[in-house]
Amino acid sequence: MKLDKDQIRMVIALFLVAAIAAILLGLTDIATREPIAAAQKAALHQALRQVLPQHANDPQNDRITMGPADDKVDIYPARDSDGHTVGLAWEVVAPDGYSGSIHILVGVRPDERIYAIRVTEHHETPGLGDGIVKNHNWVSSFMNQSLNSKIWKVKKDGGDFDQFTGATISPRAVVKAVKSALLFFNSHKQAILGRLAVQKGVSPDQHPENNKAGTQ
Amino acid sequence: MKKSDILADGFWHNNTIFTQLLGMCPLLGVTTSAENGFWMGAATVLVLIGSNLVVSLVRNVIPKNVRIPSYITIIAAFVTIVGMAMDAWMHEMYLILGLFIPLIVVNCAILGRAEAFASKNSVADAVTDALAVGLGFTFALVLLGGVRELLGQGALFGFSVFGDSYPDVLMFILPPGAFIALGFILAGINLINRRLASRAASMHAKQQTAMIPATQEAT
Repeated sequence: MKLDKDQIRMVIALFLVAAIAAILLGLTDIATREPIAAAQKAALHQALRQVLPQHANDPQNDRITMGPADDKVDIYPARDSDGHTVGLAWEVVAPDGYSGSIHILVGVRPDERIYAIRVTEHHETPGLGDGIVKNHNWVSSFMNQSLNSKIWKVKKDGGDFDQFTGATISPRAVVKAVKSALLFFNSHKQAILGRLAVQKGVSPDQHPENNKAGTQ
Repeated sequence: MKKSDILADGFWHNNTIFTQLLGMCPLLGVTTSAENGFWMGAATVLVLIGSNLVVSLVRNVIPKNVRIPSYITIIAAFVTIVGMAMDAWMHEMYLILGLFIPLIVVNCAILGRAEAFASKNSVADAVTDALAVGLGFTFALVLLGGVRELLGQGALFGFSVFGDSYPDVLMFILPPGAFIALGFILAGINLINRRLASRAASMHAKQQTAMIPATQEAT
């Protein structure tokens, strides 16, 4: 089959448009890759500072990865200047938000009490479900709670956490996800703290204080 | 075509939202606040300028049969570039607008300008048109976003206007409020246009009567 002149011209035109577009996109990717990574890191840094107690280390640098390969969790530890682990934070995802999943950064103390939580990504209705971000009383009602200190449900379901007027689904999803974070920590506590101690160059049964010199 | 005509046409007489009712998806989707509307508009302006510029440059090179796929590729490239740039340098706003940035590709207003204007006019005219249409679109987004934010949260651009005691009328933040507010804005715009038209008509009539006094009784 022979292509006539017009057809060849069409193919060449489309090819050139696509090729130039591809080159431009490649260049933009090169130019923006680092700023995007930096922006994400800065946003996470900002969020981590809010859910972790005062710390002297860089939690993002010291993060450890737990769990099976298909369900990895990055855990960000907070250490004081002596190297003690004073808190841990990781992200949980509530898949059952009102519109899409809600990402929550949960910060806990080593004694399994919550230090603070913060929603990092959500698509809940402004003015209704977004109280999970904006309602400070509600957000701080999680502080210092542990698995046994509260019934981990919204009041409508017979639990201890408020829902909002007109919005039950978003708070319910968040409460459920935070509870799952506490359960996760409860069942993996030894492994996680052990890993953190090893990372610091101490074996888990040694007291961190004896090993100040080993701090990197 | 005079530049001032292009500007007036794109911004007002042929406003994407108020007159053509195109681009409703981003309009209704992101205008929960004036700020969201503004940045969505700004992203659209950048894409429009880029696509109109390039489409006008290649208007005599691209064969007629493949012009639509070519325009779509050009528009998609600009949208992706703007999206990546926003992700890099305006990370927080990118997270808010997120989903709607890629959707600029299918904003029929942009393909419409490429097809109806840029592919037939000089580069300078095409860029002027992009600027006018883009600013008109942004104006509409900010107006609707402002009205919804004001009624729904008692604030404007994030600053409280009515004070804390204002009972937030949530409906205006929710999708139905977008349609209702848009309806009232369209009615208002039509009212303004009708006033302008009748004033222009009466001025025209006066001029005529001044010129031909004999027909005064007839009018």
